[in-house]
Amino acid sequence: MPHATARADAARAVVFSPLEGAGRAELVEQRLTDAIASGVLRDGERLPSEADLAKLLGVAPVTAREALVALRHKGLVRTRRGRDGGSFVTYDDDVSLRLTEERVRALSRIELRDLSLHYAAIAGMAAEVAADRASDDDLQSLVEIDARADLATPGGARRAVGRFQLEVAAISQSPRLVHEELRLQAETGALLWMCLREQEYRDRTREHRLEVIAAIRAADGASARRSTTTHIGSAVEWLIDEKVRLEAASAPPIAHEEGSAS
Amino acid sequence: MTQALATGAAAIARRIADVIDPVFALIDGWQQGLQARLASEPEPRAADLDPAVAATVAAELDRPGTLITGAGFVAAPGYLVDAPWHLAWWLSDGNPFRGVPARGIRRLDAVSDPDAESFRDYTTLEWWRVPERTGTRHLTGPYVDYLCTDDYTVTVTTPVTIDGDMIGLVGADMYVARLEQALAPVLRDADRTLTVVNASGRIVASTDPHRATGALLRLEGLPDALAPLREAEAEGRVGGAVRLPSGADVVPCGDTSLALVAE
Repeated sequence: MPHATARADAARAVVFSPLEGAGRAELVEQRLTDAIASGVLRDGERLPSEADLAKLLGVAPVTAREALVALRHKGLVRTRRGRDGGSFVTYDDDVSLRLTEERVRALSRIELRDLSLHYAAIAGMAAEVAADRASDDDLQSLVEIDARADLATPGGARRAVGRFQLEVAAISQSPRLVHEELRLQAETGALLWMCLREQEYRDRTREHRLEVIAAIRAADGASARRSTTTHIGSAVEWLIDEKVRLEAASAPPIAHEEGSAS
Repeated sequence: MTQALATGAAAIARRIADVIDPVFALIDGWQQGLQARLASEPEPRAADLDPAVAATVAAELDRPGTLITGAGFVAAPGYLVDAPWHLAWWLSDGNPFRGVPARGIRRLDAVSDPDAESFRDYTTLEWWRVPERTGTRHLTGPYVDYLCTDDYTVTVTTPVTIDGDMIGLVGADMYVARLEQALAPVLRDADRTLTVVNASGRIVASTDPHRATGALLRLEGLPDALAPLREAEAEGRVGGAVRLPSGADVVPCGDTSLALVAE
């Protein structure tokens, strides 16, 4: 029943969804680092307590604690003691930029393209099926998500992308597609949508949403899929350009092997 | 002949309602129990109410063969003196349909702090909005419940009122897969293609194995035939049967807000 209680901020709900596989502290740390660096969690926002975080992510309390300590060392959270205490997000433009750049450089072009193909397979299929299965109410909820999108900031644009894609997956009526959509958003969303730093790409997310809404309204599954996969494709091409730029800026003037810079 | 077939469809629609009616009766029982309990409560508190709600729903959630997988009470904003926004909702941890044995019940974690980032005003959602407007029960879904159970679900909610004021609602979740299984015997012996749809025309179950649960049934005139179903629900009455241009009959399944389409 309460599915929709989280629709207000699906991108945020994803951050605190259970981790798959072994619950290692590095995975918790990576998840939260991505969410903070990409602006999904806002500056000054209070994180769940260690115990709650452990419960939400499905890890041991000691693992959650380790991850919070690491985030503190990175300067991404600070901890206040006392009655109104807890861990609070500290967002810093320079730190966030550096962290996401490290992420891009750690992955090869092959890995980046593969990741975007996997995501496009899930999101594209969800869009195609949604076009066949959307009721008028479903269409209305997509229109509302788009209307509420804040395109002025990377975090706002990213949250809108997350919400919209999750809603499309929900409209497909497939629990598995929804599950994969959530998992991939949590794992790769911050990286894939790095292009939303640029206003041009933030504006493009709206064009994409309007295209998908029109295709779903027309029950045109092929167009809904194409628009979705093209959009994801353009995000990964931006990311690869960015990777090339970062490597050129830091590499010695001789050619170096793909993927070795990290 | 046509008349006889239509009568047959009406009988099956009645039997579909009979499958779901026990869940409705259960929820109505909870509603009456809560109304009686809370009517004499000058300062209702979540702290007192929650254990009572848990005890009430646990018996059914634990019962082997039950159709429901989640249940509870949601308070109207400001009704409880110690919790302005409050969901007291429990889920059964097992999923017998998938071979996961029952392991007791767990409480749904809900954000009830209106200042929290992820807080959502639940009174804007379908499962609250519709019963609030109509004063009567409503079936929401099927939909993918991606926070609770990751499963395909319908939710039934009914208002709890004291002296005419809605102070909250009680309800229950059902897995669509289990509902489909429960409906199969009712649909089996028909000589027409029978499809159970919700008020939006979304397929819940069908005798045509190629009609996917969750897809919209696209038949000429069906949206118009289902519209009175929604209106009837809003007015608390049961709508009548409608014949589509193709000759298919659309028959409301009692007051469940589901309809049987017989082609």
